[in-house]
Amino acid sequence: MSTSGGRRPARSGGWGARGMRHAARALLVVALAAVVAACGSGTQQNSGGGGDSSGGKTTLALKHISGTDQTALAPLISAFEKQNPNIKINASFAPTDDLQTSLRAQLGGGNAPDIFVVWPGNGSAMAVQQLAPTGVLADLSDQGWVKQVPQNLKPLLGDKGKTYLWSPGMTPIGAIYNKKVFKEAGVDKLPTSWPELLAAADKIKAAGKIPFAVGNQTPWVTQLIPYAIAPSTAFTQDPNLAQDMLDGKKTFSNSGWRTVYERYLELEKKGYFNPSPNGTTFEQQQAMVAQGKAAMAVQVSAVAPPITDAAKNSKDIGLFPFPANDAGTDLKIPAGLGAGYGVSANSKHPAEAKKFIAFLAQPENAATYAKENIQLPLTGGDNADINPLLTPFVPFVKSGKTVPFMDQQWPNPKVQPAHFAGVQELAAGDTDINGLLKKLDDAYQQK
Amino acid sequence: MSTTAPPREVAGAAAAAGTARRRRRSGPVGAPAIWFAVPAMAIYAFIVLYPSLAGAFYAFTDWTGIGSFKWVGLENFKSLFSDEQSLGALRNTILLTVFIVIVQNAVGLALAIGVHTRIKSRYVLRTIFFAPAVLSSIVIAFLWKYMFNPQPDAGINALLGFFGLDFLQQNWLGDPSVALWAIGLTVVWQFAGYSMVIFLAALQGIPKELEEAAAIDGAGRYARFRHIVLPLIAPAMTINLTLSTIGGLKLFDQVFAITGGGPGYSTETLSTLIYKQAFVFGQYGYSTAVALVLAILVSALALVQMRYLQSREVTY
Amino acid sequence: MLGRRYRPQTFGLELLMIGVGLLFLYPIYVLVNLSFKNPQEISEASLSLPSTLETSNYSQAWSGASLGAAMVNSTIITALSLVALIAVGSFASYYLARAKSRLSYGMYILFLLGIILPFQLALVPLYKVMKDTGLLGSYASMILFYTGLQMPFTIFLYTGFLRALPREYGEAALVDGATHLQSFTRITFPLLRPITGTVIILNAVFVWNDFVTPLVYLGGTPNETIPVVVYQFVGQYVSNWGYIFAAVVLASLPILVVFLLLQRYVIKGFASGLKG
Repeated sequence: MSTSGGRRPARSGGWGARGMRHAARALLVVALAAVVAACGSGTQQNSGGGGDSSGGKTTLALKHISGTDQTALAPLISAFEKQNPNIKINASFAPTDDLQTSLRAQLGGGNAPDIFVVWPGNGSAMAVQQLAPTGVLADLSDQGWVKQVPQNLKPLLGDKGKTYLWSPGMTPIGAIYNKKVFKEAGVDKLPTSWPELLAAADKIKAAGKIPFAVGNQTPWVTQLIPYAIAPSTAFTQDPNLAQDMLDGKKTFSNSGWRTVYERYLELEKKGYFNPSPNGTTFEQQQAMVAQGKAAMAVQVSAVAPPITDAAKNSKDIGLFPFPANDAGTDLKIPAGLGAGYGVSANSKHPAEAKKFIAFLAQPENAATYAKENIQLPLTGGDNADINPLLTPFVPFVKSGKTVPFMDQQWPNPKVQPAHFAGVQELAAGDTDINGLLKKLDDAYQQK
Repeated sequence: MSTTAPPREVAGAAAAAGTARRRRRSGPVGAPAIWFAVPAMAIYAFIVLYPSLAGAFYAFTDWTGIGSFKWVGLENFKSLFSDEQSLGALRNTILLTVFIVIVQNAVGLALAIGVHTRIKSRYVLRTIFFAPAVLSSIVIAFLWKYMFNPQPDAGINALLGFFGLDFLQQNWLGDPSVALWAIGLTVVWQFAGYSMVIFLAALQGIPKELEEAAAIDGAGRYARFRHIVLPLIAPAMTINLTLSTIGGLKLFDQVFAITGGGPGYSTETLSTLIYKQAFVFGQYGYSTAVALVLAILVSALALVQMRYLQSREVTY
Repeated sequence: MLGRRYRPQTFGLELLMIGVGLLFLYPIYVLVNLSFKNPQEISEASLSLPSTLETSNYSQAWSGASLGAAMVNSTIITALSLVALIAVGSFASYYLARAKSRLSYGMYILFLLGIILPFQLALVPLYKVMKDTGLLGSYASMILFYTGLQMPFTIFLYTGFLRALPREYGEAALVDGATHLQSFTRITFPLLRPITGTVIILNAVFVWNDFVTPLVYLGGTPNETIPVVVYQFVGQYVSNWGYIFAAVVLASLPILVVFLLLQRYVIKGFASGLKG
């Protein structure tokens, strides 16, 4: 059917007086809506970006990750605001991925919060060594607490000799285990070497339980067992491995990393993993240990409390260092610095922001924070009150037998995701060790 | 408000004042003024068009998302076409989209027909079918990951076992050949009710008299459906097919939240690739280039599909 | 189905549809079930009902996330965005559907482009614009954002249905001397009630659940919307899923109620409008 006005061009559209009246009416409606919207904007707050000063009060914007960091930070914010009545902190928390997206958008838009989460070392898009060169972080090298940081860890808090972030502490990776399952399987002593670990796993398997609950469906879980094996193997063969790789002297294929994956596959081939590890999620992994279906889960220390909460008897759950060392050699554990706090270089209130970080870095506060976060405090002083779960790990830190999370010393953000996917493929048998090592090297070489 | 009164009154008022007007507009009525569309275009241009254009600029740079950048011309596009990960992602994207378009709309249509009847529970049922669309993707992802437990005594596998369907039990998210379809299933569950709502709006516009007349003339249920209902809901079909095609090609939240692209790269789609490039690898410029290519692909497809579908619509 | 009577086959269909409904309901049953469980029972992952109703999940979710304030924020932003979308979008669709010219078709395609364009393209430039105009952190920024963002989708729905709407009603008025404005607002628009109801519910769900943009624009202010406050319960290692599910159930109720109410309104309005 022919359309109306089809034969008449533009004229029929009414650009004359009537058209103007229509336009006026339409625009009035829109304008009214806009006015209503703007008036009804509640309190006009300057979100995310630098805070403002009004009536002598300074407002700082802070963005960090949700979870235990949030619960650890909240009381400290209140205490700080009490001590400093002229400073108010507007804190916002979100899960890691979404936080990363929103922060990078804000950084790209030139409107970063005064204080925001920064990860130590390198290897991810929000790591200090990726951010610092772009000039978005304020230099914290002159702050008093920097002297409290152990020398071997200081480089991870900054770039090229300068310090840009404060981290609450070190998170070790260990074996969270169900004491009841161990007892029923006849494992009376915690294993302290690789052969002892295999023997214990054998007993557990014979008792009809799963030795290791593995939740590879959740990508970041895949790296944990390799991270737990590497310090006592690859990094014992070559204690300087991370730097050697950065210098090009060693590669994944040409180093002790091979041993790491050989041991990983050894565990899998002996049937010590749950069936379908690639289909099992992080939450299901926790449930298996909590319910006593599995004996151990190689995890970060922060995961021990939720498993404890979920267990029928909270006393059943414990944590011990994962022994990947050959009998008679030293056990080394992976312990990484946790996500920390940096100050925006464009902050309108750098002094106040730095003051808050200095407040967090004070020994009592740092210790309180780390305790909640199941970390070993960084600037907690020598007599810090440590979360009892971490007692087995303290000697390792004191004697320097720790290795940072390896991704924090990888040169670009592509290696870690390649590692996640690669371990999933390895566990499924879709690739072999050579294939995995090559993929890691390829990612490592990229810009 | 009755819709029959106004024309006569308006006509009466207009007649006195407007005989000249009537004569100027010869033939049937003119089209509405372009001013009707100006406010929409203005807001849309301000919020979407201008920023997208500005953002598209970065496809020709090496911007990481922060700090300074250099112009690199077509470098990003060249790397894109030689990257084998992109090809795998493209394949997954297309497979997933085809699955979603067919299954979601078939189920949505069936549901719409089912609730567009006299059954007593139709209002409650409509709410039940639509309810999944109300939940956010992160929650849905968690719920379905919970149900996709690979153990035979948990989640969906337990349900299948209960009905004696043991052979259907799967390693839903761990098996690379199953994971993509598992995601598809989740999306269909989430949005079948969405499609249903749009189909329902169209079904409600079909005058009952038409169907009754046809029935009186002896047309069976299937014939009535094929020759009366289907053509008259063509606009809804166009809308649903177009939206689900575009939505499927762009699907991100569910894939990222359920598998993150794994196991391995077996569920990586173009959208997850774009996201990872921008926010995980810090290669915003390259990511924008991929996004632009995806947009062009989707536009071409959607345009062709829409022209075809609209030519089959009954318009007045 | 034909006929006004409830026949045996209708009952058969009823049973079938209820069966399908139960299947659809299953995951939601899991959601609500878990929202009343404590961490131990959530970990057990059994399908049975909770042994004790953990209503503390709900009270904690409400107070811990300041859900009440967030609901007010979400409601205001959603409602005002919808008003703007319907008012501005329906008018534009009327032009696009009725004016058959190259210009109108070109405009239509331009709008459709918005459905296709990926979100990332505009993210940073738009954020800069919002920052520069000082709108960040206010309701206005979100309302403007959603009105612009959902305009293509709204126009797509309206135009699609307008095309199929018989022109006779509106044209009769025009021939009798009414302006397009009068014809549209008094005759055509009321006939679009089913689609307006659809536009309302589909856009409302999107705006209500949108997470990333409110996080970026409103994070840290008192104007945070529901998703922003709820996801604070989701941590990397530790998430209290009982709280999260309770919060999700609470947050979903308003939208579901709106949907239920809209059903009857839409049908009632249409049925009475077409008579005569």
